[in-house]
Amino acid sequence: MKKWMSLSIALALVVTVLSACGGNGKEGNEGQGAGGNAGGKAVDITVLVGKEEIAKPFEAMVKDYNASQDKAKVTIIPLSGANGYERMTTLYAANNAPTVISIGQEMPLMKDKLLDLTNEEWVKNASAGTLDYATFDGKVLGMPMSVEAFGFIYNKAILDKATGGSFDPATIKTIDDLKALFEKVQASGVAPITVTPIDWSLGAHFSNILFTTQSQDRDARHKFLEDVSAGSVDLANNAVFNGWMDTFDLMKQYNTAKDAPLAAQYDEAPLLLADGGAAMWFMGNWAYPQIKEADPDGEYGFLPVPISNNADDYGNSQISASVSLYWGIDKEQSTPEEQAAAKDFLNWMIGSAEGQDYYVNQFSAIPAFSNFQVQPEDSLSQSVLYYMDKQQTLEWMNLYFPPDGFPTMGAALQKYLTGALDRDGVAKEFENYWKTKK
Amino acid sequence: MYNEKTWIGKLKVFGLFAAIPLFAFTTVIIVPFLAGLFMTLTNWQGTGSFEFTGLSNYVTALQDAIFWDSMWLTIRYVFFTLILTNVIGFALALIVTSGLRSQNFFRAGFFTPNLIGGIILGFVWQFIFTKVLVYVGTELHLGIFSSSWLADPGTAFWSLVVVGVWQNAGYMMLIYIAGLTGISESLTEAANLDGAGYFRQLISIRIPLMVPAFTISLFLTLQRSFMVYDTNLSLTKGGPFRSTEMIAMHVYNEAFVYQNYGPGQAKAFVLFLIVALIAILQVRAMKKVEVEA
Repeated sequence: MKKWMSLSIALALVVTVLSACGGNGKEGNEGQGAGGNAGGKAVDITVLVGKEEIAKPFEAMVKDYNASQDKAKVTIIPLSGANGYERMTTLYAANNAPTVISIGQEMPLMKDKLLDLTNEEWVKNASAGTLDYATFDGKVLGMPMSVEAFGFIYNKAILDKATGGSFDPATIKTIDDLKALFEKVQASGVAPITVTPIDWSLGAHFSNILFTTQSQDRDARHKFLEDVSAGSVDLANNAVFNGWMDTFDLMKQYNTAKDAPLAAQYDEAPLLLADGGAAMWFMGNWAYPQIKEADPDGEYGFLPVPISNNADDYGNSQISASVSLYWGIDKEQSTPEEQAAAKDFLNWMIGSAEGQDYYVNQFSAIPAFSNFQVQPEDSLSQSVLYYMDKQQTLEWMNLYFPPDGFPTMGAALQKYLTGALDRDGVAKEFENYWKTKK
Repeated sequence: MYNEKTWIGKLKVFGLFAAIPLFAFTTVIIVPFLAGLFMTLTNWQGTGSFEFTGLSNYVTALQDAIFWDSMWLTIRYVFFTLILTNVIGFALALIVTSGLRSQNFFRAGFFTPNLIGGIILGFVWQFIFTKVLVYVGTELHLGIFSSSWLADPGTAFWSLVVVGVWQNAGYMMLIYIAGLTGISESLTEAANLDGAGYFRQLISIRIPLMVPAFTISLFLTLQRSFMVYDTNLSLTKGGPFRSTEMIAMHVYNEAFVYQNYGPGQAKAFVLFLIVALIAILQVRAMKKVEVEA
């Protein structure tokens, strides 16, 4: 008897623990629909925001919006520690879907639930290419949140000193140019570059360059992605792959954390860059608030990641700049009134002076629309706008990677940084990963 | 005590004592568990419609080499933390019951790590491993601490073991203290008169009488180590290059980060079977060696 008691207690404990990790069953309760609306009262709409960096200013913006009109009342649904997709699926299962959802890589999975926004006014004003990812069967399902760009962020003051004169990013067009620049910087007594070995930075952003620079033609580079996952590409003999790895070799060789590349922390890098500990950093414009904190008056800009020694090759004078998050509106569980209120909210966000001010000055976002009155003033955003104006931008093809793409490819590049893997090994790991994704 | 003869009377007693816990157990444990089991047989993506796919999720899960790497890593982790936590916990219990001055202070001190949440604890140790130890290592030219332990797959594993042991040893110490103080003094006194030394007493009297305490401690460390997630997340986040991704984190990532709900849930179920089996075997084996004084 006693034996069985303790046995069953043991079992119950195990069940408890495991169901905690296996939970999230789909038995949503058929309780409240998403708050029906009758008469002329304010419509309640909810917003799920997946971008933690802007959580605070976004809250302030919503407060202002609610105060500015009485037709709709917006409430923010916090992520509460879950990741975006996890939160979306639980809310949908609970029949309590958010009216406005910020949505990125999950778009293809969610497309049947999103409202067609093709006839909205902002569609006409959206910057070139920014709607491609959110368009399914000719219908626009998402409003671009902001443009995000990445490449080598440089501290102009350091490069000015190293090159003797005012540094012009257009002078770096090939791998050899970059190498010469690194050597000059090192000769001036500063470490040339700091590499943050986070899997998303290497596996999603740095790997993006390998795919997106394959061809200037959108269809051709997407064909390449398909070929890779069909297993018919020999990466080790791909010219772009080798050029891209040559650049990675330079990053590895001139890295501040060369001796222990994986020990480098994200938070240290902006400080290094701002304090003159490193001249460059492979990262994106979202890091600017941290850089600004350490060096408010410094001048920063982007350099492209070169992939060959021919200055005219596609990719050598372009930086990756694209929209990674979109605003979508739920059409499944929201009433027409709620949907209309949600559309108004989106229009206000990018159309009104207050909304634009929040967008540019509080979120530090680069608008994806041509009709913005407020423009970002800081040097790094200026640099992104410069590339955008000249149409020298690369598509973020990492949006099309499967969700386990960035950790797997990132792991291969991390191993390469430590020397645990050679160039052929990286090619093999990439090929093997993509083969499982046929 | 309750010998109700009528059907109504029996129902009353049941309603009074068992209905609420049974309801809670069913809705919170049984139903989600069955729903999860059901989910492994479908291709549900977390939203929308789904089809039955038979056992294909299990096939995918079991064929995944990373799953087995992660399982093997977890088993090694469990092996080392199990032994170290209990040896250290037992040793601490012996020290703080030996009649030291200020032993209550030490008891509280050793137990404190257990009161800190795993996430915070992970961040504290992350700072220690990446900053404090590296600083000490470079200043004193100690090769072993010259670079962060979290940056290398081998040492990152040991960092996890160190933190796991540090967190749990105090708790196990408490259970062992209870076991030690529960041993009747007449037994040790008799042993003293018979001329048994400290270690003789320890091996022949104290340890055999403390088997129930070992049963509980081993079970708890086994289960805690197998399911470790929070310290894993905040200390290494599975890195470098997914080499310290413990099984609980692997299951979570598979389902929610990589959006493979079916295979993820199937892995969770496989994990459940393995842990349940090990736990039952362990408890059963320990019961055999229990003795009465």
